[in-house]
Amino acid sequence: MSELIEIKGFTNATLGWKAWLDVVSLDSATPEQIAVLEESHPKAKVSDYYLFLVHQPEVLKQRSVAFNAIMYAPGGMPRAERELGATVVSRINGCVYCASVHAQRFEQLAKRTDAIIEVFNDPNTAGTSARERAIVQFSIDLTKNPDSVSPASIQALKNVGLTEPEILDLMHSVAIFAWANRLMLNLGEPVFG
Amino acid sequence: MTTHPSSDTIDRLVGLTPELGTFAVRHRRDKVVAATQKSEEGLFDPALRGLTLAERLLVALLACTLTPSALCAAEYRQRLVDLNVEQKLIDHISSGALEQITDSRLRAILTFTHTLITDPVRADQAALKALPQAGLSTPEVVTLAQLIAFVSYQVRVVAGLRAMKLLEQQA
Repeated sequence: MSELIEIKGFTNATLGWKAWLDVVSLDSATPEQIAVLEESHPKAKVSDYYLFLVHQPEVLKQRSVAFNAIMYAPGGMPRAERELGATVVSRINGCVYCASVHAQRFEQLAKRTDAIIEVFNDPNTAGTSARERAIVQFSIDLTKNPDSVSPASIQALKNVGLTEPEILDLMHSVAIFAWANRLMLNLGEPVFG
Repeated sequence: MTTHPSSDTIDRLVGLTPELGTFAVRHRRDKVVAATQKSEEGLFDPALRGLTLAERLLVALLACTLTPSALCAAEYRQRLVDLNVEQKLIDHISSGALEQITDSRLRAILTFTHTLITDPVRADQAALKALPQAGLSTPEVVTLAQLIAFVSYQVRVVAGLRAMKLLEQQA
């Protein structure tokens, strides 16, 4: 990875995460729990986050299917832009861990960090193009006040060239981070260095 | 022409029917549609152990009331009515009057919901640990957190699709 970013408590460094309550131990996990861990994430079996959520395996399973389909499915919005939306939501909600992971993914996909630096500094003015600024603004609005999102909000995205399938992918990316941030922020904490 | 209400909650709430362009756009991501619906069905499965169905619906109603999402709040209020939950309790949640909740377990659950919805960064270790102190097991805590987080997702998908549908209908 390239340069280290540390701005206003947010970073693109690789962080750990520890749960505040007891996690499921692999020795006592049921076959169903093991199967759900293996489907959820390549490193789920050594991750406190997944080992905690697997207390309810069926709920974790569906969450992982939704998450992976939203963030990784081919077609639609470029994946870098989905990661930008995810990073904006995490910045607004104050989820330092999620912001670090998705800042890294943006950089891997887009081969640049300028938009992330702007989002960490001030999401309200962030975006290196009209298209990015519109994506960032929509992500903020849907995060802060979903009922404020109107036909004009959708039109603003269309005006900078987003197609309806891209707009759907952006909505899903923003919404899934309303979900993800509330787990990462409230069930444990990031571990630095 | 009469149409059957969709078995998909979000399609039904937004009023998405197959002749609409917004329906077609949404269903291009059918895997997401299916996992969203199955997540909801799992979280509100009457057979799910731990939190009662009434407790889960009260959490969802409070989450939607505080977000706010009028459409989703009306949905969960109706499900509580259908379950014969005491009207006074539903009204307390709808008006955010948590101080009126006397049951200490339910109050702890709803207080956690309030924090997670309105200011997730403030929900710290002490907020989480108040739940086991109120008698919740760890799997119940996981269910509660997933439920609040899921509703936070659902209201945003509903709001976005609704705006897209309204734009389509203006054209």
